[in-house]
Amino acid sequence: MLQGMSTDTFAQADVPATAAPTIVAVAGLHRRYGEGAAAVDALAGVDVAIHRGEFTAIMGASGSGKSTLMHLMAGLDTPTSGTVTLDGVRLDELDDRRLTELRRDKVGFIFQAFNLLPVLTAEENLVLPLTIAGRKADPAWLESLVQAVGLGDRRTHRPSEMSGGQQQRVAVARALVTRPAVVFADEPTGNLDSVASTDVLALLRRAVDDFEQTVVMVTHDAASASYADRLIVLADGRIAHDGPAGTTEEVIDVMKAVAS
Amino acid sequence: MRQVALRGLRARPLRTILTAMSVVLGVAMIAGTYVLTDTINKSFSEVFSQANAGTDVVVAPQKVDKAFDGDPPPLDDRLVARVRGVDGVREAAGSIQGDISIRNAKGARIGGNTDLVLSLQPKPLDPFKFVAGRAPRAADEVALSSKAFGDEHLKVGDTLTLVGNEGARHYKLVGSATFGDVDTVAGYPAAIVTLPTAQALTGNVGKVGTISVVAADGVAPERLRASVADALGGEKVEVRTGAQDAAQQTKDLEKNFSFSRTALLVFGAIALFVGAFVIYNTFTITVAQRTRELALLRTLGASRRQVLRSVVMEAGLIGLLASVLGLIGGLLLAPALRGLLKIIGADLPATASVVALRTIIVSLLVGVVVTVIASIVPALRATRIAPIVALRDGLTAQTTVSRKRIIFAALLSLVGGGVLAYGLFGGASGTGAAATLGGGAVLVFLGVALFSPQLVRPLAWVVGAPLQRFGGVSGRLARENATRNPARTAVTAAALMVGVALVAFVSIFAAGLRGSIDGAVDRAFTGNLSIVDKSGFGDTPPALVGAVGQVPGVKAVSALRFSEAKVGRKTSTSSIIGIDPATLAQTYKLKWKQGSDATLATLGGDGVLVDTGYSKHAKIGDRLTMLTPAGKRVTYVVKGLLDEGSDFGLLGGGLVLPNARLAADFDAKDNSFVFLSYAAGAPATATRAAIDNLLKQRFPDTETQDREQVKKAQAGQINQLLYLIYALLALSIIVAFFGIVNTLALSIFERTRELGMLRAIGTSRRQVKRIVRLEAVITSLIGALLGLVLGVAFAVAISQPLKKEGFTLTFPVTTLLLLLLAAAAAGTIASLWPARRAARLDVLRALAYE
Repeated sequence: MLQGMSTDTFAQADVPATAAPTIVAVAGLHRRYGEGAAAVDALAGVDVAIHRGEFTAIMGASGSGKSTLMHLMAGLDTPTSGTVTLDGVRLDELDDRRLTELRRDKVGFIFQAFNLLPVLTAEENLVLPLTIAGRKADPAWLESLVQAVGLGDRRTHRPSEMSGGQQQRVAVARALVTRPAVVFADEPTGNLDSVASTDVLALLRRAVDDFEQTVVMVTHDAASASYADRLIVLADGRIAHDGPAGTTEEVIDVMKAVAS
Repeated sequence: MRQVALRGLRARPLRTILTAMSVVLGVAMIAGTYVLTDTINKSFSEVFSQANAGTDVVVAPQKVDKAFDGDPPPLDDRLVARVRGVDGVREAAGSIQGDISIRNAKGARIGGNTDLVLSLQPKPLDPFKFVAGRAPRAADEVALSSKAFGDEHLKVGDTLTLVGNEGARHYKLVGSATFGDVDTVAGYPAAIVTLPTAQALTGNVGKVGTISVVAADGVAPERLRASVADALGGEKVEVRTGAQDAAQQTKDLEKNFSFSRTALLVFGAIALFVGAFVIYNTFTITVAQRTRELALLRTLGASRRQVLRSVVMEAGLIGLLASVLGLIGGLLLAPALRGLLKIIGADLPATASVVALRTIIVSLLVGVVVTVIASIVPALRATRIAPIVALRDGLTAQTTVSRKRIIFAALLSLVGGGVLAYGLFGGASGTGAAATLGGGAVLVFLGVALFSPQLVRPLAWVVGAPLQRFGGVSGRLARENATRNPARTAVTAAALMVGVALVAFVSIFAAGLRGSIDGAVDRAFTGNLSIVDKSGFGDTPPALVGAVGQVPGVKAVSALRFSEAKVGRKTSTSSIIGIDPATLAQTYKLKWKQGSDATLATLGGDGVLVDTGYSKHAKIGDRLTMLTPAGKRVTYVVKGLLDEGSDFGLLGGGLVLPNARLAADFDAKDNSFVFLSYAAGAPATATRAAIDNLLKQRFPDTETQDREQVKKAQAGQINQLLYLIYALLALSIIVAFFGIVNTLALSIFERTRELGMLRAIGTSRRQVKRIVRLEAVITSLIGALLGLVLGVAFAVAISQPLKKEGFTLTFPVTTLLLLLLAAAAAGTIASLWPARRAARLDVLRALAYE
C-alpha cells in the first residue's frame, strides 16, 4: 500500500487517470502574511485538485499551511497570488456579495468548536443556511439527515443541552443541508473524545458514501485521516504528499516520512 | 435571520429589558407630556363647550396684536344693550370671570393656588345647575361649585370670604352648583356671584369679559353672528358662534401651554439623547461579544446586509419594547408631571387621562428611531466582521482610537462651540436662540464623547489613585479594568456626563442669578418692607396701597406694575415698568445715567424713562410711539436715562412710566410689588405688626417681607425652578445609571473566565465585588468630572452676554462637590447587581466557559 511514498515524488502530484471530475482546482497558490522581514509565506505555491465525491484529508504540522489552504479554497481568505476555482467559478473574480452567495449555496463548513448558535434549537441550527437563504428544507432530505445524525427526539434541544459529539453531528448535518458542492471541515473532532469522534467521522464518511458529497477535512489526527479516501500532507507551505489515505498506521508512516 | 434576532432577545430577557430601559424613560417623558397637556386641554375645552352650551354667538374683545402675551382689556358693558337690540337676538348678557381667592370661615383658602369667580347669567345662557340652595340674587350672595361645597362641608347660610380687587369681603353662601354636569370648573373651585359683584371683585366695574347671545327661534347662529358683527362694526370686538368661540378658546389655551409642553419635551429629548449613548454602547459590546456568532452566520452564507438587518432589527425590537413600556410609563408619569408644574405655580386641572393617537404614534416612533439610529454604527461594524473570524481564537478585538476620529471629535466640539457662541452673541432671541444653544450643546457633547476615550486613561489614573490606595489590589484591578477598553468606559461615562453637565450648568446659573438678585436688592431696595402675593406669582390688589398708607408709622407706599408695548416698528414687545413717581425714591434707589430723583416729578402725563438695557442710544427729548395691550397708540417723551440694567436692577431692561399711565393707557391696574418705608422714628416692630394685621384682615393673600425675606423669597422662587429642573434632569441621570449597570453586566459576562481564574487563585467573593464596584465608581467619576467641566464651561459662556446686565458668576462649590459624591454613590448603587453576579460565578464553570 505504500508504493510511491517518497515525499518529493508526490509534491506536484498529478490527478490519477481514474479520478472523478475536479470540484475545487487550486493553481499556483501563494499566501503571505505580514510584510518585510516579518513576512511569513503560509503557502508557497500549491497546485491541487479536489475530486467530486471524495473524502480528502489534509494534514501537516502546525504552520504547514493546511488551514490556510482550506481557508483559501473556501473563499474565506484571499490569496497573495494564484487562483482557486470552485465548481467552475474563479473565486478571485467574485465580489463580496457573490462570495457570500457561494458560501451559502456551494460550501458547507464544520469548525472545531462553536459551530452552533446557542440561542437556536438543534433543528433550527441544522436548517440555518437555508433559513439565511430564505429557503425551505426538502422534508425527505431533512429527515434523512436527522436520521443520519441520530437527532431523534432532541430536535428542539438547545446546544447547551447537548453533548459535544451531538453538537458536532448537528454541525455536520448543517453543512450538508444545502447539498453543497464541497464540505470543509476544520479539525471537526479536535474537541471531542474518541467515541464522539468516531461518530462524527463515520457521519462524514456516510456523507460521501451515501449522500455523494465531497468532503475536505483538515486534521492533525492520523486516526481521523484514515477515514478519508485521499491524504494530502503539507509542509512549509507546499504539498509534501498526495495519495490514498489508508489505515491509521499508514497515515502515521506517511507523516513520519514527511517530517524526516 | 429574524429568528436569530428574536431568539437572541428572548434568550436574554434581563439584558433586553435593561437595554430597553435606557429608552423607556425618555419615551415615558414624551408620552407623559403629551398625555398631560392633552388632558389639560380636554378639561378646558370641556369647560368652554359647557360654558357655551346655550350660547349661539359670543362677542369677545379683539386681541390688539398677537405679539402681546396677556388678554385684551374687557368690553364696555354698554355694548350689551346694543347687542340686545340687534335683529334676531332673543337674549344677550355680559359675563366676567377672573382669579380670586375663596376662604372659609377659618380664613383658610379653598382649593390650591387658583380659585375662580364667575358671574351669573340669565337663562338659558347660564351653564350652572344649582344642586343645593339657589342662585345668588343680591350683591353679597355667593354660590359655590359643588365639589368645593361638599369638600369643605359647607351648608347654605354659611359665610364665605372672597378676596378680590378690593380685598377681603364677606358673602352669604346661598347655593351649590355644578357647571354643566361637572362639579368643578376645569378642576378649580369657583364662586358664582351676580355680574356687578363679579365686576367689583375682578376690578372691572362697568366692564364685561364677553357677551353671550341667544338667537331667536329660527335664526341660525352663523346668520346671527353676521348681523351682530355688522351692528358692532367699528368696535374692537370679535364675534364668533358659540362653537367657534369654544374652539378659539381651546386654541388660545393650547398656545399658552405650548411653552410648558416644549420645555417638558426637551427634557424627554435629553433623556433620549443620553439613552442613545447607552444603546450605542450596549450594541457595540454585544456585537463585539457576538463576533464569532456573526462570523459563523457569514460563513454559512449570510450577506452583510443580512447581518446589518439582524442587528438593526434587534435594535428595532428593543426600541419597540421600550416605546410600549414608555407609553405605559408616560401614563403613570403624567400626574407626577402635573405635580411638578404645580410647584412652579401652574395649577392645572385634570380629567381622566387623554391618550391621543398622536401620543401613541410619536412615542412608538421616537423610541424605535432613536434605538435604531444608535445601533447603526455598531451594526455597520458587525457587517465588517470577516467570516474567517469564526475559525480563529482570541477575538475581543482591541478598539484603537484612530487619528481620524480624534480630529473629527475635535472638529465637532469646535463647531459645537461655534454654534453655542453664535446662539449667545449672534443676536437671535427666544426660541431661535434656545434651539441654537441646544444644537451647539449637543454637538459639544458628541464631540467630547468621541474624544473622551483619550481622556479615560488620565482621568482613571486621577480618580483611581485614591481608590487604589484604599482598595488595594481590588482598586488596582478596577482601574485596569476601567481603562482596558477606553471607548467602552468613555461612552458609559459620557452618558452620565450629559446629565451632570446640565445639572452643574443650571446650578451655577441659578447661583449666579441668586447672587445677582441679592446684590440688586441690597443696592436698590431702600424701603423697609415689601408686600407681595403669598403664592409668589400673583399681583396684589390695587386697594392695598391706599389702605397700607393709612397705617400709622408708614411714610411712603410705592407700587410697581408691569406691562408690555410694541414700540415703534418693532415686531416683538418691550417691557413696560410702572412706578409711582411721588414715592419711588423713598423706597428704591434708582441708578441714573442722566437725570436724578427730581426727574421723577417731571414725568407728568407724557414722560418716560429709558433704561440702557432697553436702548443705549436713546437721548433726552426723544419721542417714543408705542402700541399698548389696550389697543391705544401713545407717544411719550424721554425725560431721563437709567442705568438699572447694568445692575440686574428690578427696573432694568425696559421703559419706565408712571402707574397712572399704565392704568389709563395699558389697562394695567394690579401691582406686582409694593414697597414701603417707615416714617422717621416710627417703631419698626409695632408698625410691621400693624401692617401685618391689616393685611390679615383685608388682604389675606398678601404678606410683608423685609429685605432679607425679599432675597429669600426671590432665591426661593429660583430654587423652586431649579429643583424642578433637577427633577427633570434626574431622568437623564437615571438613564445613564442604567447604562452603567448594563455595561458592567456585559463586561462581567465577557470576563467570566478571568473572574473564574481570579477566584481560583484565591480572590474572595468580597474582593470580586469590590473590583466591580470600584470600576463603576471610576467610570461614574470620569463621567461626573467631564460633566462638571462642561457644565462650568457652559455656564461661563452663557454668563458672558448677561454680564452687561449685571449678572455675576458664582460657583456653588458645595453643590458641585455634592454632585461628584452623588455620582460616585450612583456608581456604587449601579454596581450592586453586576457585582453580586460576578461574585456568584461558579469557579469551575467560569473557567470552562468559552
